[in-house]
Amino acid sequence: MNSVATLVAQIQGLSGSTSDVNQLHTILKQFEDLFKSESTRLAPLLTELNPSIHSLGYLYILEACSSAPISKEQASELVLSVARFIDLSAAEQIRLAPDKFISVCKRFKDQIMLLEDPMRGVAPMLTALRKLQYSSVQLTTLHPDFLLLCLLAKCYKTGLSILEDDIFEVDQPRDFFLYCYYGGMICIGQKKFSKALELLHNVVTAPMSVLNAIAIEAYKKYILVSLIHLGQFSISFPKYTSSVAQRNLKNFSQPYLELVNSYCTGKISELESFVQANNEKFESDKNLGLVKQVVSSMYKRNIQRLTQTYLTLSLQDIAHTVQLNSAKEAEMHVLQMIQDGEIYATINQKDGMVRFLEDPEQYKTCEMIERIDSSIQRMMVLSRKLTDMGEQLSCDPLYLGKVGRERQRFDFDDFDTVPSKFTI
Amino acid sequence: MDFSALNDTLASKSYSQIADICDSLILQVSSQGVAFQDEWPYAIHLLGHIYINDINSARFLWKRIPLAVKESQPEVLAAWKIGQKLWTRDYAGVHEAIREFNWSPEAQGIVTSFSELYTKRIFELLVSAYSTISTHDTALFLGLNASDAANYALERGWTLDHASKMLTVKKQVRSAL
Repeated sequence: MNSVATLVAQIQGLSGSTSDVNQLHTILKQFEDLFKSESTRLAPLLTELNPSIHSLGYLYILEACSSAPISKEQASELVLSVARFIDLSAAEQIRLAPDKFISVCKRFKDQIMLLEDPMRGVAPMLTALRKLQYSSVQLTTLHPDFLLLCLLAKCYKTGLSILEDDIFEVDQPRDFFLYCYYGGMICIGQKKFSKALELLHNVVTAPMSVLNAIAIEAYKKYILVSLIHLGQFSISFPKYTSSVAQRNLKNFSQPYLELVNSYCTGKISELESFVQANNEKFESDKNLGLVKQVVSSMYKRNIQRLTQTYLTLSLQDIAHTVQLNSAKEAEMHVLQMIQDGEIYATINQKDGMVRFLEDPEQYKTCEMIERIDSSIQRMMVLSRKLTDMGEQLSCDPLYLGKVGRERQRFDFDDFDTVPSKFTI
Repeated sequence: MDFSALNDTLASKSYSQIADICDSLILQVSSQGVAFQDEWPYAIHLLGHIYINDINSARFLWKRIPLAVKESQPEVLAAWKIGQKLWTRDYAGVHEAIREFNWSPEAQGIVTSFSELYTKRIFELLVSAYSTISTHDTALFLGLNASDAANYALERGWTLDHASKMLTVKKQVRSAL
């Protein structure tokens, strides 16, 4: 145990400055075998260390402890000590050994799942991913774990907070797929359908060499959210979608594509009977709730369609056209749509009429100017990023190699405006 | 559990902050492995979400509340009833749900404040959605009796046709730059 004692002394001694910590890091890496062999006896050492000052050393020991198999009673204790460590640790020290930190957090999440108390892990996982990130544009492997815990613990609003960051850097494709898929589900729960659509779109169109289950499930939800939010769905994929996705996704979503067809008839009774007939399929995919939202969105679409043809219409006529039971029901539907900003209209109870109006937005208010301004700022940042990426790519040897090879296949005229040979 | 931040916020009547404070506190307490469910102020937490019109979060909170709490704390049920009525857009039902329960002193403040806020919001909705509306319906929406509702509207510039019992809405002019 002598070497272990010196280890503790070195951790305590070399955690002062950045250069000391770097030195400590080198030393710790040399102790890898010791950590593995003594893992079951290392736990008491943690009491001699301060997690916020000796974060790096603490991390190494904690990682070794947590990778050893433990009983359920010990699980609760481990979860507590990891949560405490995550809270108190110094981010700069952690970022020197990100793999170790990730390993600890993954183990933490596994134990939380075993304890069947996902809410316990939400706050620590959020702190952990923020400490691991060197910038908010970086997607870490902890992001999807955090979102999963939020979903299981029903803490949707907390999950929403990280979805507002723009992600520009992704390490592992799987993390990205899961992040967008879980993120989409969180947005659906909070009824932020526009953002949900964006995230699900990213899963469906992300580069893929092999079809994966996440994309399949995401495509199903993508169809449903598209119907709810846009009232339509286009079966053609954008050009940048992988060929794997384009060829295969539709095969796994037959009932959903048929739902689209049924929706497009505009007849609520047809849609309802289709849903009834395919209830089990939607239920087993856990999409029944969304499907029901699709059905109720049909009334809204039909009423919105009326605004394109009529300036005024009686509540009775609305009820009849849209297949509602009474003028009063029609009135309530219209009122709710006005409340949600989905329609501009005024109800005249005296005559039982609805007058459809133009969008009163004149784009002249301060709020609107601020919105446009911040959008412009975001676009400028994005544009700069694209220019940088373009420059980096034009220096990339792989890219240059490919362009070089393809030149022969181009037509003579394509890259030379002056032909080098004249035929007279 | 340290409820001082929550109590201060309640005392200063900054009700719109209750939801966020409760959310972060519950996550913190939960990560410490403390068994908090019996002592947690679920009613206030629900009312906090309701106050800022975040019915989605109120619904998810309701799903998380243990059955034992739901069965033993009628105020939690009463608070959720308001949320339910808002969710199903039972405009008149919201007022009933507020009135029919005898609220505790801790909850009374936020409930009264929400009631005033809700009435104001509904009135603004009526102004934007209706050109004419019966006094009967106005009364239901505002949670007042017919004559009080008519007076409320008249004070704000609406006009009343006594014969047909129809109120004509006074529209607001949108302010531009």
